Amino acid sequence: MRTEEKLYTLRYKKDDKSHLAIKDENTCLECTAKYGEPQPCVSICPANVFSWQNNRIVIGYENCVECGASRIACPYENIEWNYPRFGKGIALRYA
Amino acid sequence: MLDYDIVIVGAGPAGSAAALKAASEGKRVLVIERGPEPGSKNVSGAMIRKDYVTSIFGEDMPFERNVETIKVSLYNGNKPVNIEFHPDGLVTTGRLKFDKWLSSVSEKAGAMVIPKTTALKLNWENGIAKSLITDRGEVSAKSFVLAEGVNSLVSMESGIKGDWTPENSVQAVKMVYSIKKGDLNTLFNLPDDNTGMSWRMITSDPLVAGFMYTYKDSLAVGIGSPIKELVDRKIRPEKLLDDFLEMTGIAEKVKGYSLREYSAKIIPEGGFPDINVARGNVYLCGDAIGLVDPLTFDGITPAIASGTIAGEAAVHNYDKEIYRYNLMKDPEISKIAKERKLETDFMTGNKAGEYINMVSSMLEGWASGDLMGIRNTMVSNYRNLIPDLMTFVMRMR
Repeated sequence: MRTEEKLYTLRYKKDDKSHLAIKDENTCLECTAKYGEPQPCVSICPANVFSWQNNRIVIGYENCVECGASRIACPYENIEWNYPRFGKGIALRYA
Repeated sequence: MLDYDIVIVGAGPAGSAAALKAASEGKRVLVIERGPEPGSKNVSGAMIRKDYVTSIFGEDMPFERNVETIKVSLYNGNKPVNIEFHPDGLVTTGRLKFDKWLSSVSEKAGAMVIPKTTALKLNWENGIAKSLITDRGEVSAKSFVLAEGVNSLVSMESGIKGDWTPENSVQAVKMVYSIKKGDLNTLFNLPDDNTGMSWRMITSDPLVAGFMYTYKDSLAVGIGSPIKELVDRKIRPEKLLDDFLEMTGIAEKVKGYSLREYSAKIIPEGGFPDINVARGNVYLCGDAIGLVDPLTFDGITPAIASGTIAGEAAVHNYDKEIYRYNLMKDPEISKIAKERKLETDFMTGNKAGEYINMVSSMLEGWASGDLMGIRNTMVSNYRNLIPDLMTFVMRMR
């Protein structure tokens, strides 16, 4: 089963503003040179939030399951990681 | 600005226990919850000790099934060694129902719970927190409890504690499958709709701890693996879960049933007593200070224990050393503190894999009457693994 199909099972309310951000894109180039692809954030995220496109990390924050692994896995502390605002983001029912 | 005696961040087990304690002592208590309702952001196994929860929150706890059998499988390669035992007083529970109930008990005691509100930061003056800033405004209080879970953003922003590292955190992913009660009973030989089982599996390479729990009409399965190992080896956690389901035969059992929900969570494998747990009038508890039992994976019991102690500390505005002492005095919490050494061993190198191989080969030798095999295993490990294990066991009090 593809990740996207797993994510369809989640109830989700989208915040207009991303709760995730890359602090400095140059750091991602340095990380890629050192760790290769997939980068730690790309590989650890269980929801495919991070992808490497045209030499930069692209964030699909609306897929986020709010686990926090990317923030911990980033060797450069380069991910600004917040919670979604106003009760938005995922709403689990059976976990 | 709103003003309360005590403001609590998070309406999970720790936050609701703190709220219950403080409200019962007559304080005006506000609980801020970032989810649309308590439990909606929470992920766990979740197997809990019914008597313990009831002793604090009272009767009528919602639960799924009584766990009458726990099976443990140690995988050394693809052939597991299995141990089965029959515990007392364990039940499975879904977090939405469970956490909502905990929160409702704190409300009945007089606490005010506001969901859909994210705590952002504390406002400090001379080492004392004056107010909490949320996405919906600011609230002042005499003391604060941060029961904000494993991603303890307010605690970190306040400089009370640092973040987890890939070395002391585990990434867990979980799936819940819808399976009709009758089918579930047949699949796992359960005598009736109230009886359940749990299955824990440990594999040595890569180091993976897996779990399976029967809910009323669904099956929860998941795995956890150290972030360091996953990142170093570029292993995707969900791929690990898929492989794991194949290896354990669960994939075959759930074939044809639909996936009800997918979720993920970080499990802390470090923290108290090695970190700060308070600053001024602010007290941290639960997952925020790493209180998950590394051997049983139970985070709910120590969350409730530490939440109750944090609530009491907030009521009396205890000094942080007194709060720390009170935490350490609690049997549920001191147990975790004492297991940290073994935990550190498990998280570094391939010690865990070696333990698992040693234990499984000894059990296999025992079961097949191969006493020489047991002797050989012990002899080959007498210099390193066995002394470490014995030292650890002798130091336990």
